[in-house]
Amino acid sequence: MTLPRFDVLVPETVEQACSLLAEHGGGARVLAGGTDLLVDLKRPIVQERLIEAGGGDPGRFTTLGDGEPGAIDPWGSGDPPPDVLISLHKLAGLKRIEVLDDGRLRVGALATAREIQRVPEIRDRWTALAEGADSLGSPLVRARGTIGGNICNARPAADITVPAICLGAQLELQSPDGSRTLPGEQFILAPGVTVIEPAEILTAVTFPALSARTGSAYYKLGQRKALEISVVGVAVYVELAGDDTVQAACVTLGAVGPTPLAARSAAEVLAGGKPTGELLARAARAAAADATPIDDHRGTAEYRRLMVEMLTRRTLELAVERAGGRS
Amino acid sequence: MSNDYRILNTRAPRVDAVDKATGRAQYTDDLSRPNMLYGAILHSPLAHARILDIDTSRAERLPGVVAVVTWRDAGTEPYGVSPARYDETIFCHDRVRYVGDEIAAVAATDPDTAHEAVRRIKVDFEPLPLVLDGRHAMDDGQPQLHEQYENNICAQVHWRFGDVEQGRREASVIRTDTISSKMQDAAFMEPQAVLAEVDAQRNLTMFSSTQAPHYVQRTLAMALNHPLHKVRVVKPAMGGGFGPKASCSTAELATCLLALKTGRPVKFTFDREQVFLHSRARHQFLHTMTTGVRDDGTLAFLEHECILDGGAYASFGIATVYYAGSLLGGPYRLKNMNYDGYRVVTNKPACGAQRGHGAVIARALFEIQLDRIAEELEMDPIELRLKNVMDAGETTCNELFVSSFGMREALEAVRDSAAWKKKRALAGQTRAEGKGIGAACGFFVSGAAYPIYRSKTYHCTVVTKVDEVGGGVVVQSGAADIGQGSDTMLAMITAEELGVSLDDVRVQAGDSSLSVDLGSYSSRTTLMTGAAARDAARDVKRRILSAVAGRIDVPPETLDLKDGCVISLADPIDFSALRDEYLKEHVGFSDLPDSPKLSFREASRIAFLEIGAVVGTGEYRPPKLGGSFKGAAVGTSPAFGCSAQVAEVSVDLETGEVTVDRITGAHDCGFAINRTQVEGQMHGSMMMGMGEALMEQVIYDEHGRILNRNLAEYKIPTSLDMPQLDALIVESNEPHGPYGAKEVGEGAIMPVIPSILNAIHDATGVRINELPVTPERIVRALRRKSVCAK
Amino acid sequence: MKRIISLAVNGVEHELAVEPRRTLLELLREDLSLTGTKKGCGIGDCGGCTVLLDGVPAFSCLTLAVQAEGCSVETVEGLAGNGRLSSLQRAFVEDGAIQCGFCTPGMLMTATELLRANPHPDEREIRLAISGNLCRCTGYQKIVEAIRHAAEADHE
Repeated sequence: MTLPRFDVLVPETVEQACSLLAEHGGGARVLAGGTDLLVDLKRPIVQERLIEAGGGDPGRFTTLGDGEPGAIDPWGSGDPPPDVLISLHKLAGLKRIEVLDDGRLRVGALATAREIQRVPEIRDRWTALAEGADSLGSPLVRARGTIGGNICNARPAADITVPAICLGAQLELQSPDGSRTLPGEQFILAPGVTVIEPAEILTAVTFPALSARTGSAYYKLGQRKALEISVVGVAVYVELAGDDTVQAACVTLGAVGPTPLAARSAAEVLAGGKPTGELLARAARAAAADATPIDDHRGTAEYRRLMVEMLTRRTLELAVERAGGRS
Repeated sequence: MSNDYRILNTRAPRVDAVDKATGRAQYTDDLSRPNMLYGAILHSPLAHARILDIDTSRAERLPGVVAVVTWRDAGTEPYGVSPARYDETIFCHDRVRYVGDEIAAVAATDPDTAHEAVRRIKVDFEPLPLVLDGRHAMDDGQPQLHEQYENNICAQVHWRFGDVEQGRREASVIRTDTISSKMQDAAFMEPQAVLAEVDAQRNLTMFSSTQAPHYVQRTLAMALNHPLHKVRVVKPAMGGGFGPKASCSTAELATCLLALKTGRPVKFTFDREQVFLHSRARHQFLHTMTTGVRDDGTLAFLEHECILDGGAYASFGIATVYYAGSLLGGPYRLKNMNYDGYRVVTNKPACGAQRGHGAVIARALFEIQLDRIAEELEMDPIELRLKNVMDAGETTCNELFVSSFGMREALEAVRDSAAWKKKRALAGQTRAEGKGIGAACGFFVSGAAYPIYRSKTYHCTVVTKVDEVGGGVVVQSGAADIGQGSDTMLAMITAEELGVSLDDVRVQAGDSSLSVDLGSYSSRTTLMTGAAARDAARDVKRRILSAVAGRIDVPPETLDLKDGCVISLADPIDFSALRDEYLKEHVGFSDLPDSPKLSFREASRIAFLEIGAVVGTGEYRPPKLGGSFKGAAVGTSPAFGCSAQVAEVSVDLETGEVTVDRITGAHDCGFAINRTQVEGQMHGSMMMGMGEALMEQVIYDEHGRILNRNLAEYKIPTSLDMPQLDALIVESNEPHGPYGAKEVGEGAIMPVIPSILNAIHDATGVRINELPVTPERIVRALRRKSVCAK
Repeated sequence: MKRIISLAVNGVEHELAVEPRRTLLELLREDLSLTGTKKGCGIGDCGGCTVLLDGVPAFSCLTLAVQAEGCSVETVEGLAGNGRLSSLQRAFVEDGAIQCGFCTPGMLMTATELLRANPHPDEREIRLAISGNLCRCTGYQKIVEAIRHAAEADHE
């Protein structure tokens, strides 16, 4: 596999990065840790493109010739490669992780999973986020892969994105026209597709402040204990009221829909209830009903739905315990 | 174990370990040459199609492209692994048979240009219907892949040993079970790489990541129509093989063809994706076995049928289908055995040999059957096995003679080391928590007794030469150290025999110009090349001692080499005359010998002065083995290894996730030349077997394309998946092996899959007859069971 | 268009003209002839190409050379100081942690960083640290043992 020819531009500031993006339009891609983008850009060895042979003989195919007119793509590979990569590696400011005075957590878009894993406050309070970072790929992926890249790559199984959305992530986006903030759950539209504008850069992810009685958890199910792509990922967040009832809850599912999926009926089941085993089991069943999994070579829809139920119950039990309640 | 060896049976570090730990070791892709070109190959994107036209003109016009070759250059003479099944051509000319089949190759001044050129080759295809399911490949009306394979059957075996019907009458428990596996990948860490160069006399030298320089040399000469003596194959440092690198590949042939055509050095390195496309790894096996035992637990018969899905070409498959049946002849006393095996071709990458060639899945099912039978008989599964194991000196029903056999010791060793009885007794309690324990045994050849081509060839020769300046020893061998440590084995044997230190021995190996050696496959190298190295060293020793004895006028048999010196077994000897002679030759040197003993350095120099070149040779050829029935040769071996294993697992009964908590294995290697390396082979086998049991499978889509042609989705165990591994060495002193040694490289994988599967059954109460046993398959089985229970 | 970059490899400063798409792995192996760093997959799955980039393990196959501009890169060739093996290298040699050796350079780099950050790792921490470096020969058993022994040797 070789990388296609492209230029790499290295902005020194976010503003520069945005104006470079604006300048190059659709031909540019943003490079952060590279653990997804560079893999996607490496061209497979087996010839991908076949064109139907000329002369109107529909039963015949001719191999490729890159960029030949009329090329069809039976292997389903996507867009043309970019002309320019805009590498953000000099934007040190985007690596910062801080708990703000108002109690919110702000994670720079270039913070790596490894950096997120190692922040005690995140482990302690935004636990699902830390557990998502723990689950990503392998130590080597975690040392390069960033939260911004994980979110912008927009994969339904993304191990940081799923708990980030669950914990109410707000995405700070900057463009030459200014900046805006979007709720994480509105960001991803389809696999690999987000609402980000061509000249926009994700600069930081902010998480709401947490009250003392909250707990969260993320569980990734795979076939081996590292280097996995989730078969199912479940992130949950629970906040308890003074009377031990559930004040707020959120269940977010990975790899069981085209995007990370909010299990809204599960959250509804939980709201206001006592977090008994029975309630959590009911919420888990609701989450399974909310899931829209498909069959693929990693698992069947049936198994995935079943696992959503198992794992939602387990993560909820853990989150309630972490919130100081008992399930 | 106490013995008189100084070097053998120790934990000496590998001779190549420091080079590998410092990045100095050179693997094939690390080599380069002035004026070198880079190769690339055009693979078929379709699994089955007629080739109507190949147009390379656009590729040839690309600046930087030096040569483009297709079947027009390579010809269409078939080649392959087994002369009885030559069914491949270097490049496809009329038909492609799997996604990845090779159509053309390019040499260019840089890799990118080579890749770009490949993308500019136009091929017109007419797609043909596919055969993807090995189960149905033999059915009438299926598309045919090769004219010579009627009903897509590439090889079949029908064996009848003893009297199965009699066995059936004697049996009180009879059961039939099935298992199916998926094609697997060897997933060695180093992708295949080749560097070929040609000199002015048309001598072709190919450096390649190969397990079998000799076979590859022959195939290159034959398929390229180049004189055999002008083909040299050299194996640099090598990053694993495990079977698929034991045959000549199109990458090797195409790179040599490009070097011959251009006259320039050409390097070609597989991408990981091409490792999957080329495959030649584990077949898919579909086994059905009916086994019967008598009241007392002794085996009465086995009736066995297997379909092997071998992909598009024969490769090693003819041996695979025989091994799948023959290696169930041991390690238990089994007098009556029928076997019907069918090796079919399908439109998938060709399968070949992989660690435990042919026998791994068959072993898995048979050992599972033994557990199920033990359950029916209410016997402890290990007791059942102990009741049936063979002893040294016995012959199997298919005429395999076991000259040493530590099966009983191995089984008892794992039973006791893993506290089997205690843990088994707790099964009732632990099963509720999803914990389980399982055991199994295995049996494997220690070197195939017959070469792949019909010949009475020596299987290896070794030439050992003492430096003419004195002191050093060079061992020359064609054996291929593929990572298993054969160079270290050769050095240890030589140093032991000559009484010198490992540092004084240099091994030159893996080079077809040094000697004929059939290569690293069938777990043959320690027994065969080790024996040849021992004899070569003894030959050298005899020459040195005779020369020295002649000078001091004592009988040679009163001298010996020990601890770097000549010692007298009789009266003390005054070596001062020889010492003076040596010192006179070395005026101005420091570090000269001054002890009263005559050093090896002096002795070897004196020997040179007396007789000229001090060269010893050794060779090995197995005795004639095996019965007279068709296919009797496959499975014969000068010796057989055996192994036992206990696996302990925890299963998450809700998600089906399996954690292997501990593996305790014991293997009878006859005698451990290097204890660390024997353990290392056992550990590696446990890992590969565990991967195959739980996660490894090549997944195809409906077009015959591999969906998981990378190491992210072809899952091999990581360090977090692997448990503590306990490797127990059993030494049974094999009479036909050097110092009593036999194999460990492949036999150790045999019990891995069934011991894990038996443990999963112990933990869950369910049996899964489809490999790999993924969490999903476990959950499905558990749910089926609970539905049935209701 | 090539770009001039400077970086320090095993303490030696280099200034090189590289194509923007060139990976750090290609720069090391082809431009600097440091072939100790291995390519096992090219897409960040196997860990064979692991180097330390400013002290942090990185896949050199998924790092562009231009991203390493101004960085300090450590490779397996730099581990032995003045020809003396590091305690990890010595333990790998003596404990039989090396078979085919193709994963060894990457494994050593990962383990080097582990012991710098955590001089007394327990078995679980060792297994976790090397879980992105695949090995097909050893079952990881002797690698884990070697890392533990190296940690012990460093504190004797």
